[in-house]
Amino acid sequence: MAQEEHGGGIAEHLNYWSYKFDDSNPFMQIHLDTMLTTILVATGLVLFSKWLGGRLTDGAPKGAQNFMESVVGFVDDTVKDNFPVNNPFIAPLALTVFIFIFILNTIDVLPAFLSGHIASLFGVAHYRQTPTNDLNLPVAMAVCVFLMTLYYEFKLKPMHFCKELLLEPFASLLLGAKNPIVKLLGIALIPLNLTLKLVEEVAKPLSLSFRLFGNMFAGEVIFLLISFLLLGGGAVGMVSGFFVGLGWSIFHMFIGLLQAFIFMILTVVYLSIAHQPVEH
Amino acid sequence: MSIDLTFIGQIVVFLALLGLMKKYLYGPLSGLMAERSEKIAKGLAAADAGKEARARAEAEIAEQLKEARVKAQEILTATEKRAAEIEEEITIKARSDAQQIMDAAREEVGAEVNKARQALRKEVANLAMLAAERVLDVELDEKRHAKLIDTVISKEIGHA
Repeated sequence: MAQEEHGGGIAEHLNYWSYKFDDSNPFMQIHLDTMLTTILVATGLVLFSKWLGGRLTDGAPKGAQNFMESVVGFVDDTVKDNFPVNNPFIAPLALTVFIFIFILNTIDVLPAFLSGHIASLFGVAHYRQTPTNDLNLPVAMAVCVFLMTLYYEFKLKPMHFCKELLLEPFASLLLGAKNPIVKLLGIALIPLNLTLKLVEEVAKPLSLSFRLFGNMFAGEVIFLLISFLLLGGGAVGMVSGFFVGLGWSIFHMFIGLLQAFIFMILTVVYLSIAHQPVEH
Repeated sequence: MSIDLTFIGQIVVFLALLGLMKKYLYGPLSGLMAERSEKIAKGLAAADAGKEARARAEAEIAEQLKEARVKAQEILTATEKRAAEIEEEITIKARSDAQQIMDAAREEVGAEVNKARQALRKEVANLAMLAAERVLDVELDEKRHAKLIDTVISKEIGHA
């Protein structure tokens, strides 16, 4: 059924609703669906926060306040467990990352074709409902986290960070030697150190973003696979498709929560490494 | 599936959301939670202090009670002693009063007896005189012989 309506296979469903500023340059386009969904979710979160802020009580918390307090308490504990120093900016960052990613991931549980159907009512050909499936969002967040890490590294221990960048892991061992040839070798190894260290640093945002993106994208593809393989096969196919899809939905929701948690905890860990006092 | 302008847009969205969440959600909530935990800690400390104060007050009360009991015992003993003294005093006084009353009564009785004796003597004198008159058939001069009769009677009755 879905196949007839949305012919073109899985790849067709993985197109974005995009606006191209310049056809020749692939960078000059914007995914309107990703932007719209994230802005809607962000606005919803802010409105919810303002609504909640208006009815906060310092007595025994109830309902939404109780729930949000347990989330904030959980994030606070995680940050406190990992952080050697107190930085009031980290906990809100972790909280935002966790809630934002969790909500965006959970949108994926909605039926795979629903957003496409709704979008087609408004004359839009494609609509990808889950922004975490769009590589841009995980990369944007990971880059933000990476830049914050660099900022704190340079702000808190600039000399140490530069030294680590140039001298670890080889040069620091060799420069301490008495033999001048070994010392020279140590200096010669600085470019190699820099390369290794740069790879190590760049791997952080890369792995952070691709882990989230890969998990969510794979989940989406599996939803589509289930629907294409089973929904086409008549009544039996539809029934089995429903149950298999339901099972995968539940599992995928769990993955969404897990990925949100992993993204949050890695953010905290990367930033806590940057805050780690210098050891001598 | 490529990096494009959405990337920039997402950075803007994320940072804006971060700022707003910090301002509207995390800030108020964590402030509130800190406030509450401080309040709870204060309450617990106050409860502890209250418990301690109560224990102290109870100890004080027990001490005072003990003191009061000792004092009461002392007062009771003193009172009993005083009561015994008073009893004794009263007894002595009563005894002396009774003695006095008895003495007065005895005196009175003595006076009465004397009076009666006098009267009797007078009577007897008259009778004697009457008898003597009969016997002697002489009128005795009451005035002349009164002295003699008196002497006789007092001798006789005095012996009686």
